[in-house]
Amino acid sequence: MNIEFIDIVQSLIDGVLYGSTYALIGLGFTLIFGAMEKLNMAYAASSIGGAYVGLGVSVLLSLPLYAIFLIGPIGGGLLSVLVYICCFRYLPSNNHLAALMASIGGLFFIDEIISHETDGSPLDFPELGIFSEAYFEIEFSDMFLGFRGDLIFVMFASFLAMLMLMYLLYRTRLGLATRAVSQQPVAAQLCGISIHQTNSITFILAGVLGGIAGCLAAASVGVISPLLVLPLTVKGLIVTVIGGLGSIRGAIIAGLLVGGLESVFLLLRGVNERDIYVFLLLFVFLVFRPNGFFGAEIDRD
Amino acid sequence: MKKLSITKGLAISALTLAMSAGVALAEKTVLISGWGAQSGPLKSFGMNSETILKAAVDKINSEGGVKLKDGSMAKMVYEYYDSRCNAEEGIALARKTATTTNTLIAIGPTCSGVAAASFGVFQKKVDDASDTGLQMPLFTNTAVRNGLAKISQWTFRNTPNEPDMYDKLFAWVRKTKPELKTIYGGTETDQGHSAGTYSKVIVQAAIRHGFEWVAGPIDEVSGKIASGHKNVIKASSNWLMADTSFSVQARAFKKSKADVYLVSSHPFTTCGMLKELARQKAKPKLMIGLTSSSSAETMKGCAKQAEGMIIPTSFAPVTPEAKAVADLAAANGAAADLHSAAAWENVMIIKDVMETVGVSANGENLEADRRAIRDGLEALKTTPGLIGTVTRNQEEGEALKPYVFVHAKGGNWEVLYDPR
Amino acid sequence: MDYYLGVFQTIGVHTLLGLSAYILLLTGQVSMAQIGFFAIGAYSSGVLTVIFSWHIYPALAFGALLASFFAFLVGFPALRVKGLMLVIATIAFSEIVRLITFNFVWMVEKDGIMVGADGAQGFREIRYFTTNGWESSQVVTLIWIFVVIVMAMLWWLDRVKAGAVLRAVGNDELAAQSSGINLTTVKVAAMTAGGFIAGLGGGLYAHAVSYVDHITFTILMATFAISYPILGGTKNVFGTLLAVIFIQGILIEAFRFLEDWRLIIFGLLIVLVMNFMPDGLVSAFKKSTSGKDK
Repeated sequence: MNIEFIDIVQSLIDGVLYGSTYALIGLGFTLIFGAMEKLNMAYAASSIGGAYVGLGVSVLLSLPLYAIFLIGPIGGGLLSVLVYICCFRYLPSNNHLAALMASIGGLFFIDEIISHETDGSPLDFPELGIFSEAYFEIEFSDMFLGFRGDLIFVMFASFLAMLMLMYLLYRTRLGLATRAVSQQPVAAQLCGISIHQTNSITFILAGVLGGIAGCLAAASVGVISPLLVLPLTVKGLIVTVIGGLGSIRGAIIAGLLVGGLESVFLLLRGVNERDIYVFLLLFVFLVFRPNGFFGAEIDRD
Repeated sequence: MKKLSITKGLAISALTLAMSAGVALAEKTVLISGWGAQSGPLKSFGMNSETILKAAVDKINSEGGVKLKDGSMAKMVYEYYDSRCNAEEGIALARKTATTTNTLIAIGPTCSGVAAASFGVFQKKVDDASDTGLQMPLFTNTAVRNGLAKISQWTFRNTPNEPDMYDKLFAWVRKTKPELKTIYGGTETDQGHSAGTYSKVIVQAAIRHGFEWVAGPIDEVSGKIASGHKNVIKASSNWLMADTSFSVQARAFKKSKADVYLVSSHPFTTCGMLKELARQKAKPKLMIGLTSSSSAETMKGCAKQAEGMIIPTSFAPVTPEAKAVADLAAANGAAADLHSAAAWENVMIIKDVMETVGVSANGENLEADRRAIRDGLEALKTTPGLIGTVTRNQEEGEALKPYVFVHAKGGNWEVLYDPR
Repeated sequence: MDYYLGVFQTIGVHTLLGLSAYILLLTGQVSMAQIGFFAIGAYSSGVLTVIFSWHIYPALAFGALLASFFAFLVGFPALRVKGLMLVIATIAFSEIVRLITFNFVWMVEKDGIMVGADGAQGFREIRYFTTNGWESSQVVTLIWIFVVIVMAMLWWLDRVKAGAVLRAVGNDELAAQSSGINLTTVKVAAMTAGGFIAGLGGGLYAHAVSYVDHITFTILMATFAISYPILGGTKNVFGTLLAVIFIQGILIEAFRFLEDWRLIIFGLLIVLVMNFMPDGLVSAFKKSTSGKDK
């Protein structure tokens, strides 16, 4: 197969669209990092876990398919708060290492429980209804450029999520409290803001967002499996770092960028080398531009 | 009167108890061990294998057990372990069963990587005193990657011979669908079995029967097995076993306009790929898949998109014996497929070999018995299989199993062609 | 007997892996790169004994040195990256190494069969020990001689200034720098030493197990590597040893009947230990046995 320019453009489009799932996951990682300066390694696990909860409950109660996308976020929020209580709440706040390890423990715990309950078997996950059928093609002379309808939906969802988060952070009291706690925890406490309450709410928010991300990621693949967890965790980390830890805009842009680049690497160098380049990109950013594209937004003054 | 009866009753009970205790103490058992993946993504393989193994052992015991060298009957017992599809654990288990238990022969493992690793710790050639490898026979039912049993003379497999199956499959397709000419495909390159079988067996088999690679012949690739396998991978559109995005690959498949698509991967990515192909409306005239995907998992994940896919398999409920095993498995909450059903065959073969060579119970004659069983297994030219007689390749310790072609129809794998 | 010896082999090799992460932890660097160095040691020493028919000792030495060379190279960019970012950077490094082993093909024909590394199919038939008549007991002894040497050296480190310097950097970099300690030298030296130990462990592992492939070197293994010194604590090397014995010996082997509950428990264990004993197991012991406060 010889590769033409249009193939590169198409793969870029495919990748950028798929990158919206990375962007959504990255949003959650970056939110928690921005608020607490801690990495929640169990985030993707609780997000996919939420999607499983949505699927499981809907199947058990024979609910219509769209119920999965409502129960999933609730499941994600619950799992996220559980992670907060078990891995962050009671740990000394200056011991970043302990929280990191605890959340890695949480990651494996959730991942293995999912494998245990489902016998590791991949399950059919409903696609985004009419959106998944939609496949737009634009004609260029005799060539076609295709756009996946369901991924366009996911991309809009992530932009929407980004806007809502920014509104929440900069225009509401909760957002104010979150930023206060993140920048000056002691002073915030003195003003009467409860650190743990604020952080719990941040985790719930991230969790609900994660549940949505998990559902949308599974829906765009069409199957859900515990195999999704670790790669999504790694991608989420990469996206968060490249976008800038704590930067909401950064997570979105980095998500789309990583998705797009990954796809082009795949096309040009094949799947065996694809991830090497993605990790090299991460490495380069970490060493030469550790603040990512936008640096930290949440605790910027 | 009553008192006497009670005393008598007590005495009789005590005596009976003592006798049965004596019998229990003297109960003769022959031990077989097994291991497979019982945690992780391949968990269902280990679970299914164990369930079917247990059912086979139960059947043997219900019919009296195993006849020993001295003529008495012994009960067959088994131990099944979780190797987690982890090479280190597979090796630990091989060592554990060989050196600390009375295991006469072991069955397992699930994963080809674990097999490749653990076969290596067995003694390579029997009677090589300088080789300190393990000396216990191992009879595999699942790990199917090509060419593993020849690693050691103690290791045997009862797994389908994929080169033979795919050879016959393409011959059959060539005959029944002469209008199909071109092929294109892809595999999960980080899964040893999928990638190995795709690049060394499937493509070459197709070429051997007159199919053409759609972009023109691939360098060094001919009908000969494993010829040019690196170039096959380079010419194909591949993915990794945990990948979730297939748009680039699916587009390449569509662009190729090939008559036949070859999708060589396990259920997770097979379903991901098939769904993407459907989304891009890439419809070939025929789809061919990997043996391991002819399972319930694929139907659970993407029954609709898999419709029509053809896969060769060494197990389908096409004979009364096969059907019985399938039903027995279902009754115990497991699924019988080409991998787990082989566990049944293995147990039955083991019983026959034990009775032919004559063994002792409770590990009384452990080393000699293990060697005898090994020799007995090697001496077999054919073994009974659930869907027909299995021929054994003594040079390498491999099997040539009868097969059928199944295709996905309405959410089930149905027999499309039965060449037996 | 062979089985228990096999378990001791595993514990020994994992202890080396844990100790390589331990020395880095002393300097305050949480590194997920140890499994990458482990892989480099495994593959390079394997290639030497299998393809070039080297003797085991020079092969192990070469593997360890090659790993330490790469560790040295990684040490410099690692300086620029602190705390959590280092974790991510080292994850990236280990994944890059894993992906390279996944692409690494080097096979030659020996005695009629192809041996060597075969990309995704793994590197099998690393049979130096069995071909040369080594008994399991001899292999275990070899591994543990190395373990004891490394442990002794790390123990001794704490008795001399070097140990204090390492820990000073780990406790407070600014203060350490103000005392005249050259951070670069200390951190890169620690990374190099850690790489050497991990490379040695990798070489021993490859030959003890006779087969390695890219699936051996995943992030899960990297997590095991760092969890040993974290669970065991950084007070001394015995903590790491205890953690390895507990996780590999008890949880994974002895509790095998629990099947997939083992990994579930592993996850839970880490969460619990971090909550109740954030300084690790050994410090918890010391606390409970040290009696009353002054």
